[in-house]
Amino acid sequence: MYEIKMPKFGLTMESGFIEKWFKKEGDKVKEGEPLLEVSSEKITNEVASPVSGILLKIIAQEQEEIKVGTVIALIGKEGEKFQEYQVEEEPERSVVESEREEICSIKVISPDRERRIKASPLARKIAQENNLDLSRIKGTGPDGRIEKCDILNFLSFVSKEEEFKIEKLSGLRRTIMERLSKSFHDAITLTNIIEVDFTEFKKIIKEQKVSITSGLIFILARVLKELNKFNAHFDSEKKEYILFKNINIGIAVDTDKGLMVPVIREADKLKLETINKQLKELVDKARISAISEVDIKDSTFTITNLGMMRTDFFTPILNPPEVAILGVGRILKKPCIVEEDKITIREMAYLSLSYDHRVIDGADAARFLDKIAQYIEKPELE
Amino acid sequence: MREITFAEALGEAILEEMEKDPAIFTYGEDIAKQGGIFGAYKSLLGKFPDRIFDTPISEEVIYGSALGAALVGMKPIVEFHFADFLFTGIQSITLQIEKIRYMTGGQGKLHLLLRGPDGISNSAAAQHSECIETIFMHVPGIKVIIPSTPYDVKGLIKKALQEDDPVICFEHKMLYRIKGPVPEEDYTIPFGIAEVKREGNDVTVVTISRMVHESLKAAEELKNDGISAEIIDLRTLVPWDKKTVIESVKKTNHLVVAHETWKRAGWGAEITSVVQEEAFDYLDAPIIRVGAKNVPMPFAANLQDFVTPNYKDVIEAVKQILR
Repeated sequence: MYEIKMPKFGLTMESGFIEKWFKKEGDKVKEGEPLLEVSSEKITNEVASPVSGILLKIIAQEQEEIKVGTVIALIGKEGEKFQEYQVEEEPERSVVESEREEICSIKVISPDRERRIKASPLARKIAQENNLDLSRIKGTGPDGRIEKCDILNFLSFVSKEEEFKIEKLSGLRRTIMERLSKSFHDAITLTNIIEVDFTEFKKIIKEQKVSITSGLIFILARVLKELNKFNAHFDSEKKEYILFKNINIGIAVDTDKGLMVPVIREADKLKLETINKQLKELVDKARISAISEVDIKDSTFTITNLGMMRTDFFTPILNPPEVAILGVGRILKKPCIVEEDKITIREMAYLSLSYDHRVIDGADAARFLDKIAQYIEKPELE
Repeated sequence: MREITFAEALGEAILEEMEKDPAIFTYGEDIAKQGGIFGAYKSLLGKFPDRIFDTPISEEVIYGSALGAALVGMKPIVEFHFADFLFTGIQSITLQIEKIRYMTGGQGKLHLLLRGPDGISNSAAAQHSECIETIFMHVPGIKVIIPSTPYDVKGLIKKALQEDDPVICFEHKMLYRIKGPVPEEDYTIPFGIAEVKREGNDVTVVTISRMVHESLKAAEELKNDGISAEIIDLRTLVPWDKKTVIESVKKTNHLVVAHETWKRAGWGAEITSVVQEEAFDYLDAPIIRVGAKNVPMPFAANLQDFVTPNYKDVIEAVKQILR
């Protein structure tokens, strides 16, 4: 019998959230074959089976948060039976999870400890027809006997449940939730908005065959080098303001599973072409959930572009512990008054800079936006 | 429709069949001159003096002679005076009447009807108050009918007189005087067809005889508690209407069987057993039986009430089964 334990993906990982089991109890598994999907605070990974055999028992179920090193499943040789093995202790679950478990999931107990559930013959029949596990139902009959009405009550509750779908937060969503709550409750975020002429910038982008975001990252890296106070983290507990030499720009990417922020490292040292190439790779990896932990850590500043989705301007929320984030709006052709009061058509867009006012003043933000605007309006993307 | 008493309906059934069939004759203790101890034959007084007559007190002879008469093609109707006394002549019934058709390979018919009163009355004590229908349901070879209304007694007795097998009919003493609608035209009621006396959804009460009336009274009171009880009068125990009972249990998922005879090994146990064998998956609670306490019937009126089930016991059982 081989014990499958909750793996540790990184140094800081304390527990893992079981997203999905790819195998059922009784299934054959081959060494190296994906067994389950686990997400940590930072990343979702497939866990491969370390041995070949039969998946005898799944001890920790989907949607459970399990401590690293805890036995979550047992794999045995063909013909081996689970009954021969005693689970010594329940898998450790976090407090929230164990409360939730009482309500909606089945406790893992070894068969010999299983108690007979009292239920009327009719209740058993209806339960069987509806594929219900009687252990999930509380009997209201004499001595706790489960009767027809208990099953019907349960079924009506379940069918009510079908009117809406309760989704438990995935590892990624939980990370997003925790980070954004922290950002919202902690930082004092303000947003400055500026309208920028993108006409020249777009010409160059087109010539160089790179994306708008790549071009903006290129410019942003230069501005961050000049105005270093934006390329920083703020630790409000320690009251430490950490200024970084390396400019690692995080890019907010919309994926099926939610927002991900892959990072382009030392962007100030990269050519536009390289940025464009790296960005494309990172976005593709993020969208197919193939991104690694290295790709998403250490960002010092974040850019978020909603222009392609028709948003004109918005108030981005900080990606903590960063101190600022740049939001990019839609580029739109507009009649503009240029020199000598002539009206011409220009490609315009709004840039929104959200910043933590505890460490960055409004004038700093204004200067930062102005600097970016200057680069965009007279671009030198070499 | 005209209303007549249970005793009058019984008398009409016998008279009408006697008029049609000269082979039918009836005898027993205190019927021809007295009209039966509970007035069952009152309406027959003075009719067919050579075919309705009294006998000495000798059950062994009464049942034995009926067997002999039936064997030579007569159609005797024997009054057993008190159901309790059936035990006095039981060997003629269980060893002969119930076996002869079987042991002769069905070569002959046995037109023989045993009928008489059973059950409690006003302090008739241990030897004159019994309900012993279970004995005849248990020993194979005789059909058992137990009507609860004037309509049923007439239809079932007429059917019994057309049967080729021996039949025993129990008439509860306290039912002889109840009145009910009985049509004037000729009719019979087939055996093995129960009557749903009252439709309901929450619980099925299977019963016969006096307990049909008690159960209906219980159902009326249970209605006030929002409980809908279905009352089934089996009317005949051999054969009994399994189909109707099981269909009802499938609907209500709860079964109470109520009879006046003792609860211990009373026929309710048979019904209960068959239902759990054939409709187990439809039961939402254990089946409950209502029956007399397992003692001989006391003489004292208050003790008779204590031992004998009535509508209150049915209500209690229903409430227990539905909690």
